[in-house]
Amino acid sequence: MAETARQPPTVLGLDPRRASWKAWLLLGPLLVWLALFVLLPTILLIVTSFSNRDELGRVVYSFNWDNYRRCFDPTWLSIFWDSILYALLATAICVLVGYPAAYTIGRASPANRRILLTLVMVPFWTSFLIRTYAWISVLSQEGLVNSLLLSSHILPTPLSMMYTPFAIVLGLVYNYLPFMILPIYTSVEKLDNSLVEAAYDLGAGPLRAFSRVIIPLTRPGITAGALLVFVPAIAMYAITTLMGGGSNPTIGEVIQNQFTRARNQPFGAALGVLLMLLFLVCFFVLGRKKHSAHPV
Amino acid sequence: MKTIRPLILTLLALALAACGKSGPANSPTAETPASAEPKKLSLFCWSEYVPQTIIDDFTKETGIKVSVENYSSNEEMLSKLLAGGGKYDLIQPSEYTIEALIKDGQLLPLNSAALTNLNNIAPEFRAMSFDLGNKYSVPYMAGFVGICVNTAKIKTPVQSFADVFVPANKGRIVVLDDAREIVSWALGSLKLEINDVTTENLARITPLLKKWLPLVKVYDSDSPKTSLKNGDVDIGVIWSGEAALLYAQDKKFAFILPEDGAHLFVDNLAIPKTASHPQNAHLFINYLLRADVSKRISDAFPYYNPNLAARQLLSPEQLANPASYPPAQQISHMQTFRDLGQFSATVDELVTQIKAKGK
Repeated sequence: MAETARQPPTVLGLDPRRASWKAWLLLGPLLVWLALFVLLPTILLIVTSFSNRDELGRVVYSFNWDNYRRCFDPTWLSIFWDSILYALLATAICVLVGYPAAYTIGRASPANRRILLTLVMVPFWTSFLIRTYAWISVLSQEGLVNSLLLSSHILPTPLSMMYTPFAIVLGLVYNYLPFMILPIYTSVEKLDNSLVEAAYDLGAGPLRAFSRVIIPLTRPGITAGALLVFVPAIAMYAITTLMGGGSNPTIGEVIQNQFTRARNQPFGAALGVLLMLLFLVCFFVLGRKKHSAHPV
Repeated sequence: MKTIRPLILTLLALALAACGKSGPANSPTAETPASAEPKKLSLFCWSEYVPQTIIDDFTKETGIKVSVENYSSNEEMLSKLLAGGGKYDLIQPSEYTIEALIKDGQLLPLNSAALTNLNNIAPEFRAMSFDLGNKYSVPYMAGFVGICVNTAKIKTPVQSFADVFVPANKGRIVVLDDAREIVSWALGSLKLEINDVTTENLARITPLLKKWLPLVKVYDSDSPKTSLKNGDVDIGVIWSGEAALLYAQDKKFAFILPEDGAHLFVDNLAIPKTASHPQNAHLFINYLLRADVSKRISDAFPYYNPNLAARQLLSPEQLANPASYPPAQQISHMQTFRDLGQFSATVDELVTQIKAKGK
């Protein structure tokens, strides 16, 4: 979204019809917002990442690479890697679960579509923290699932589900699934049915029509959904702390710790900058794929 | 192009001006004359520590509106306080943070004439080394970090930290998510001073932590009782107040002060020197020191109450809760934490490293 928002200034500026002051006036609020809440904090983060700190954890401005050097210690790298794995797994599951759901919603009758879309949005009406706490009472040893399994004699001993990597991925999938369904839904809604019929007419079976026609046509939705899930999932710390129990630390938890318990904001900032670079790489990689998909 | 550059420059200048304004504008208000203090108070306190009903009653009695913000570690409070520029009137730091704040000149000396209820506090809590004679701070609640055992599940006797971290308890342990705490248990277990955090001592306890931490299932400082109550773990090293709540619900949860180094923590009320409403803050401190008010805090959060007058109002059952009020001779030789300064980052790094490798 930020991409399309940032393009107009240059397009307008180079426009032979000349950008009128009205255009700038309309863009004004957005530019101020971007400067205040995107540009300035980013600059602050980068400056902090090169600084030192004093006894009470206050930032002492200076210039050194020590914080970045520390980032490449195997400990933090392995935590980075784990967080990427959790986020990738969550994204993959979101695609597998979200695609059929989005497709069904997109193909439903307008009346049903509205109901189904509302149902997707309903969880947003309560705070995600409350919903995550609800999972704790479902998954714990004396929780709903285990009591059911035990009382129906399916299992002799309770399953240990909370505070495991399984719980972390489940929490991520549950919270981010709507962010996958909604963009795919918009792609599916725009999907021209005659193209699918043409594929059938030309002898493609359902599988072939799906993989060669439907998937490529809805790829923009999948890409957008994947970004919307993957990027916040790497940095998420609230869900991973609550559901993972802290024994499987993620990079979001480590960064949060630097700003709170460890009194080391500069190091936290350096990890944050690296995370941001990782997101930029993601945008470029996925963005390029999107372009190559267009000619199809 | 010509029009674009000035526009962008103006916008940037505007943005910078907007930022600059919010910063220093706050500081002059700190010197407001006493009589003109508006009926407001901004309280910055631990989560799950000051009951809302008490805040409401204070507002009813005095007309002072209290806005509350919470934190879950001393360091979180420190970083927000030092960046906040006079946003907070009353804070609730633990002993070692009081020590650091006094050293840095961040606290306002208390006006003892305004604190008529200070005599309710037990003598030993008025002579704490981090603030002798309560010049800058007043004790709010105290407590211990000890072992909570679900005796229905764990039958072997538990007396020390070493008894908690045994292979048989793998995946059944909850501990506080606090590197400083974890390190102090290991130091105690090796008969070292809990405040003697040096590079050599950290090297000495590293092998022990490498044995201990892979056994832990949950790290939780906010509500460690939850995983014990839900049966996800059977034993834990947790705050005494949390253990007291578990014991009050179900007697199967025993609380043990480990013989190899339990420690005492004291959370205090203090006024930052940048406070805008120091008078109101004094009023609130004095209100919290009142016996009937302090008793109600104990009802909600059964920690060790340093307020003797309030303790007299507690029921025999509350006083008999072993997690709230352990035998006096066990408390007398307990130590409190000293500030570690920059070392806190080293401690955090050590524990995070072992945590990440231990999976």
